[in-house]
This record gives sequence, structure tokens and C-alpha cells, in this order.
Amino acid sequence: MTVGIVVVSHSRALAEAAVGLAGEMLQGADHADGSSSAAPRPPSVEVAAGLDDGGFGTDAVAISEALTSADQGDGVVVLMDMGSAVLSAELALELVDDDVRERVVLCPAPLVEGLVVAVVSAAGGASAAEVAAEAGDALAAKSGHLGEAVTPAAAAPVAEASVAGAGEETGTFTVRMPHGLHARPAAALVAAVRGLDADVRLRNLALDGPEVSAASMSKVATLGALQGHEVAVRAHGPDAAVAVRRLQELAEESFGETAPAAPAPTPAARGTGRPIPASPGVGIGPVRVAAPAGIMLPAPVPGSPAEQRDRLAEARATGREHLRAVRDRAAREIGEAEATIFDAQMLLLDDPDVLADADARVEAGADAAQAWADAMDAVEAALAAATDEYLRGRARDVRDVRDQVLAALGGHAETAAASDGVLVADDLTPADAAVIDPGRTAAVVLAGSSPTAHAAILLRARGVPAVVGVGSDLAARARQAGVLAVDGTTGELVVDPDESVLADFRARAAAHTARRDDALRRAHEPAVTRDGTTVLVGANVGSVDDAVAAVGADLAGLVRTEFGFLDRHDAPDVAEQEAAYRAIAEAMGGQRITLRTLDVGGDKPLDYLPMPAEANPFLGVRGLRLALARPQLLADQLEAIVRVAHDHPVDVMFPMVTTVDELTAARRALDDAVETVGRGRPELRVGIMVEVPAAALKAASFAPSVDFLSIGTNDLTQYALAAERGNEDLAALADPLDPGVLALIAATVEGAGDDVLVAVCGEVAADEQAVALLLGLGVRELSVAPAAVGVVKQAVREVDMDEARELATTALTCPDAPAVRRLVEQRSSRHP
Amino acid sequence: MAGVDNDTLQRWLRAFAASVAEQKDALTALDAAIGDADHGANMDRGMAAVVAFLDATPPADPAALFKQTGMTLVKSVGGASGPLYGTLFLRMAPATGGAGALEPDVFAKALRAGLDGVVARGKAELGDKTMVDALAPALDALDAALAAGEPLAEALRAASDAADRGRDETTPMLARKGRASYLGERSIGHQDPGATSAALLLAAAASVVADQEAA
Repeated sequence: MTVGIVVVSHSRALAEAAVGLAGEMLQGADHADGSSSAAPRPPSVEVAAGLDDGGFGTDAVAISEALTSADQGDGVVVLMDMGSAVLSAELALELVDDDVRERVVLCPAPLVEGLVVAVVSAAGGASAAEVAAEAGDALAAKSGHLGEAVTPAAAAPVAEASVAGAGEETGTFTVRMPHGLHARPAAALVAAVRGLDADVRLRNLALDGPEVSAASMSKVATLGALQGHEVAVRAHGPDAAVAVRRLQELAEESFGETAPAAPAPTPAARGTGRPIPASPGVGIGPVRVAAPAGIMLPAPVPGSPAEQRDRLAEARATGREHLRAVRDRAAREIGEAEATIFDAQMLLLDDPDVLADADARVEAGADAAQAWADAMDAVEAALAAATDEYLRGRARDVRDVRDQVLAALGGHAETAAASDGVLVADDLTPADAAVIDPGRTAAVVLAGSSPTAHAAILLRARGVPAVVGVGSDLAARARQAGVLAVDGTTGELVVDPDESVLADFRARAAAHTARRDDALRRAHEPAVTRDGTTVLVGANVGSVDDAVAAVGADLAGLVRTEFGFLDRHDAPDVAEQEAAYRAIAEAMGGQRITLRTLDVGGDKPLDYLPMPAEANPFLGVRGLRLALARPQLLADQLEAIVRVAHDHPVDVMFPMVTTVDELTAARRALDDAVETVGRGRPELRVGIMVEVPAAALKAASFAPSVDFLSIGTNDLTQYALAAERGNEDLAALADPLDPGVLALIAATVEGAGDDVLVAVCGEVAADEQAVALLLGLGVRELSVAPAAVGVVKQAVREVDMDEARELATTALTCPDAPAVRRLVEQRSSRHP
Repeated sequence: MAGVDNDTLQRWLRAFAASVAEQKDALTALDAAIGDADHGANMDRGMAAVVAFLDATPPADPAALFKQTGMTLVKSVGGASGPLYGTLFLRMAPATGGAGALEPDVFAKALRAGLDGVVARGKAELGDKTMVDALAPALDALDAALAAGEPLAEALRAASDAADRGRDETTPMLARKGRASYLGERSIGHQDPGATSAALLLAAAASVVADQEAA
């Protein structure tokens, strides 16, 4: 195959010189062994440049003729300079025969660099699409080499009159977020232009800074764009206009930042000098000061640049898996919105600028680890030098990503960072908190932070006792100490405790451990209330690991099948899905698994499911709405589920159902899947998620068509209270114990009738204090995080159903969520 | 007669060529302020080439006339106005349905098809400070006048007036397309050269059709 190439320029002299330059690249191939018999043929390169009278300009007719003569049946790649060259090339496509047109690719690469790469690539037998893609990457080497100083701020002149159209789009946006364009919005920005066929560049007008690529996470962060700064956007390529518009829209929406971005210090975080209880439990141990745990560079591994590149790619893949795991855990334990902070880290792994830099270093002889470390150090240094405090803080993200990849390349931790003890730090990022090992960290003491910060939520979820907001003085004393005693239940911190204090704390720790052990020991026993009502306690599962961790769970009450669909470029096929669901069923050891069909939407788009941007993705095409719009996707998943259901006890559950018609359509798809599998109907129960308030109120209409209703309290709360999950400003409002939400749960139970089981699979199910209330409302199954199964079962065992019903009746009359919380606290103080 | 015949259409293009030639320096001056100072020269070169083929090989019908005009502009203008004006005429050709003389509504539809082509090619929207800002209101006025039962000459006069107004309204606009968009705020306060030449095109049409009907 030899793809033809057409060069379109305003200037014939320029075009011919560029062709001559590119031709140099092919000479070696022809002469090396004195023959070119087996060598691929040099491509046919046609020039369509300048006007007949020798002046500057482009001519669509001449381009169309060049296209026809360059095309030898294998397609043509067109490289253009700017402005009318692009318009004329587009028009030329209309002037050629249909079969030629289908084989032509207009390539947005810069003319000279793109042409050199394209000629070599075409001579190597690449297809037109491949040639165009390689040419499109041609700029990366140059930008990598020059670092930030890629393009002078002044726009390159384009020989065009101001009539409509040209190949370039420009615009500006103003940064509105209090923290500026920091990591998370920067990630949103990069994601917004990624996948568009456009080269997009940004420049901070307020600082009169250099122009940087919008495709590069690291470069966008170095814009140093603070609140109020105006940023200029310049885009080239077919999707240039879309790119500019999308960025402006995104800026209008503050890049999805609805709240102060990161775990913003609350007033308490400034340190009152008195510890605030943040995560219950008692911990005693030697002081461990959190220092950035560096990674020692592994000894250089010899190898060709190609081998080094492969090693780096593999290590990045390992790093990505690790980050994905941290992200998934954060998504489960804190929330999807907060988990997006890890998306920024994952983008860094694929940052084209960092990769180009590392590539250049490998090319210059460095081994994979050295090249990666140096490339990331450069980014970190740039961020550390930023004027904005928040950006400087992001340097730690870069260090995390750097070290994860180095670890995968054989690097070792520099210090015994994982030594056992009580961790003392100023603050913890969610990433840090998410990976703390409860087995080795007796407790955590933070100078700042607050009980509602993400770090604290994660520490609670991981069962690590913690006190926060102790203030810098006490933290400094703690750092100097030998031993610390911490009670995260009461908020006590004792520095170098004497024997009597130690004895007291040890007794508290023992009592706490005993309660936890008791719960764990009895985890395999059924959860039966004091008056004999059995309640199923299941685990929410998003991976085989979760299923293994779900010790004592009566079932997997919610299997988030998204795990098989995320982080890949194509949808998993039936066999892959079947294997994944089978693995979970086997890990659950014969317990029933409730497989929820794919629950994604515009807020978490997938590569292979392009979705138009929605103004409000939580109210958009998501859950079952999306599945019904993509019947093949649903058909494949249901087929995999049916196959597994022939061998294991399986429920299928449809997410975000609003109308009975949707459920009917989904059930029809399930019937079709049963027929496709052709082994008769397996024992398969069908249910829906009740997340939409309307569905809760129409439960009676759904009841005849389902075996169970599972209330997703997280989304139900968000929709009922019109308060977005993850918006920290609304955290107090978005309380699932709001009497309005409780009324919807009560309505669901009433509509379900006697034959349909009602479950709760939101976070509130794991709230020990809320267990009695939910049971009183008529809920008979709770599905919670794997680690919470034991304690929730224990909480069930303390419930008296008559009291619980009374509690529920009273709660429904409460004016607001705080009143409900006071009510349940009074009750639990009666039943310690 | 109510429509426009092949001869009138040719006179239209010659009249447009004449006003472009006459306004060449003015168009270039406008372009010098916010572009690269070649719009007048480019359009003059293109329309002179059109007149040359009209003299040498006058096309047999309106479709052939528009097609050849479009191809000639594409070949000879050089700047972005080449593919844009070229597209305008190339899209008008099939919209004539092969008629020898164009009924008023057919002429209006052909112009509309041409404008659609310009919008698709340049990806400009109303208010971007481009030729679309003259053409779009002109064709709206043309359609409205024809729908109200006015004769073509009157309707084209209304269209030409609307184009002039549209052209004038580009002065305070911020350029969002083409070279002028690099100037950002500085493009404000200058009349757009593309909208100016487009207004000349409508003025030429109004003038020749009025003459035809007077004759």
C-alpha cells in the first residue's frame, strides 16, 4: 500500500521546498544496499500551491486535480498551511469523484513537520488514517524539546481576508473558581478537548504567559490561572470551533467545580489546639511523621530505546491500575464527585507533553526509570514554582504519579515509610488517606482538616482512629514525642502517656476491638432483630476483591458491573462479561449476586459510548435510559447475565428506572437474552433501583413486574432534595435522613406490598444509627460496603421492631434531617 | 416578465464585477484595517476572470452559468473568499433545476442554497462579523417580500437594503472568524470587508433586475 500525499499551500515555493526537505528522508532507504526492490515505494506527492499568476493563494480546482492524480487507490493524505488552504481543500473534496473522496484524509498537522513524517510513514506502507495520525503527532517532538516556549503568544499570521471562515478558532474565557484552574478543573479541561480533532492552545492573558497545549495536564496546570484571570484559547483543526465553544461553556460552569475545590480547610482545620474526634477507635503507638516517602531510582536497566519505551508503557499501565483501584475505592467510600480528583492523576500518566519529554530522554540514552523521573521532576518543579499556593500543593500529585510508575519499574521506597505507629501530619490528601493500611497505622493525628473532610471520611471507612484539627503547636509537640495515645471516639490525644494513661487507653482499645471482633465473629450468622425478624445484609461489590472482602454478607446486594466497562476503549464482549460475573459469583461462594446493568451517563462517559454533552448529566441519558438507547450493549450484558444465571443464583437489577414502560422494555430485552442463550429460563429474579422520586411514588405500578425494589438512597436523596451529590456546599442539605426522603422510602414499601422485597443499597444503609429507622420503615434488606457488613448485622441484632416502627412514624413527622438525627441519637443512647 | 433570464443573470455578474472593480481599493482598505489587505484585489481578480469567460464562452443556461462562475472564483481568487464565493455559486447551480429563466422563488431558493453552502463551508454564524451578516438578512428580506407578493425587483431592492444594513451592523461586531478574529476587541469599530462585497452582490442583483423590468 502506498498512500498519496497532497501539499496545499499559499506559496508554491514553500510547498516545493517542503517536499524537497521531506524527500531527503527517503534517500537512505533507496541507496543503503544499492537496491530498493523490496523497499516500499516512495509515495506520490502532489503540490497544489499558489495561483497561476505566481501570486499567493489556494485553488480548490487545482487541489482536486492533485487529489485525483495522487490517489492510486490507497488513499490520500492532505497537508495544508492555513486559512483558505483549509477551506479550499474542503471544497476540493466536493469536486472529486465519490470513491476518491472517501479515501482522502485532511490532516491538521503543521505543514513541514507533518509532511516529513507523512512521507516516511506512507513509504512504510501505512494506511491513510495512520499516516495522518502519525503526522498529527509530529508537533509533539518539537513541543517536547522546547518545553513551554512552544509558540510565541502572537498569533501566526494567516493570509486571509476577514470573510467567513478560516482554519483557526479563537476565544477567551475567565476563570471563576476560587482556587483557579487547579488540578481537577484542569483535568476537566483536558478531558473536554481530548478526542476532538483540534490542536488547542491556551495562554494566560493576565500573566502574559506562554502559550501551552490544552491536551497537556501538566502544561495546563502551569498556566497559573487564578480566579479572575482571562485565558485565551486558540484552536486549529476540523473541531476547532467545537473545542473553543466547549471550553467556554465549561468555564461558564466553572469546570464542574460547584464548591470550593479540594478538601478545603474548614474553620476547625486551622487548629483549635483541641483535638476533634474524626474517626472512632483507640490507637497507641510510636510517632510516625508523615514525610513525602520518596522512591529510590532503580539501577539502570540496559536496553534499546524501543525496549525502554515498552518498559515505561508497562509501568504506566501498572500505575494506572493502581490509581484506578484507589479511585474506585474513593468513589465507593466517598463519592463519585470527589473521586474525580484521581482522574487528574490518571491524566498525568498519559500526558502527551510528559511522554514526549520522557521519549526524548529515552532517545538520548536514558533508561525508562531515569527518563520518567526526570520528565516528571520537570513538571513538579514547574508546579512548585507556581505563584498560587493551591497549584504548589498539586506538585504532590505529580510526585505520587511519578513514584507509582517508578515503583512499577523496580524502585524501592527510600525510607521505611510504612513503619507501624501513629501517623502525624499537617493534613492528608484523599489519595493518602485512601491507601493507609489500618493494620500498620494505629491512629492518625492531623494538625488541620476537619471531621467532614474527605480524608476523615476515608479514615472512618477504613477503620483507622483519628483526631483532627489539633493545631500546629500540639502537632509539633506530638512530632517530637516518642509515643502517642489517641482516642478517635472522644477526641483525646496524649503525648508520651504515663503508665496509668496507657493502661486506660489500652482498656478502651480492647473494648473497642472486642466489639468489632464480636461483630466480625458473628458476621456469618444471620442478622435477626431482637424480636425475630430476619434482615438480609448484603455487600455492595465492584470487583472480585470486594466480593472476597465481603465476609459474612448474605448476598451481594449490588454488583456494580461498571467495573468491566470503565478504562477501556471498546465495550467488553459477552464472553468477557460472563467470565467477570462468574468470577464474582464464585468469590461470593454460592451467595446470591444482584447484577445491576450498566449504570453510566454523561457524567462518566466511556470512550466507546460517545454522548453529547448534557447541561445536567445527572438528569440526562443515564442508567436504564442509556441502556435502552443502546440496545446492543444491553442485549450483550443481559446475555452474559443469563448465562451465569444458569449456574449461580443471580438477580438482575435495572438502574434509574422512571416509568413502567422502561421496565417493560428492559424485561423484553431480558426475555430476548434468555431466548438467545437457548437453555430455557434460569431462576432469575428481576428488580429495579428506586432512585427517581416518581418511581418511589409509583412503586405499586412497578410491583407486579418485579421481585424486589432496591432503593438507591444516594441518588434518591440527590433527586428528592435537588441537591447534587459531591457539592460540599449542599452536604448538609443532601441528608438521606431528611423526612422527605424517608417518606419516599415509606411510599416505596407501601407500594411494594407483601410479595416484593424492599432493599436499601445507598450509604445510609451502613449508618449504624439509621438501621433501626430503615427497618421501621419496612426495609428488609440492607446492602453496604463489604467492610461494614459485620457492624450492620450487629446493629440489626439490637433492633426491636415495635420500637423501630414507632421511631419511623415519629421520624416521618420531623420537620428536618437534624431533628431526625437527634431522634435516632436519643434512641441509640438508650441502646448503647 | 416575472423571473430572471440567463442574459439578466450574466448582466448581474458583470455589474457585480464592475462594482468590485470600482470598490477594489475601498475593499482593500477595509481589509487592511482588520485583515491582510487583499480582499479587493482578490475579488477583482476573481470577477475579472468571470467576465473573461462570459465574453469568451457565454454559458447556455443559469445552472451552467453559476457552476462556471463558482469554479472560476475558486480557481482565481486565492484567499478564503475564493472557496466561499465559489461555494455560493456552485450551490446555486443545482438549485436552478435546469430552468432557462428563473422564477422569482427559484432565484430566491438558489440564493438560499448558496448561503447555506457558505455557512457550511466557513462555519460562521450570524454576528461573527462575516459575509453571512450581509447575506442572511438580505435573503430573509427577499423571501419575506416575495411571500408578501411583491415583484422581484421590489423584493431584491428590499434584500439589497437589508444587506446594506447588515453590512453596517458588522462595524461594532467582534470578529470571530478569519484573520480579523486574531485582533479580538480591536476588530470592533471596523466594517467587515466580506460583508461589504456581499452587499455589492445584492445591490448589483437589485439594479439589473430593476433595469430588466423597466425595459
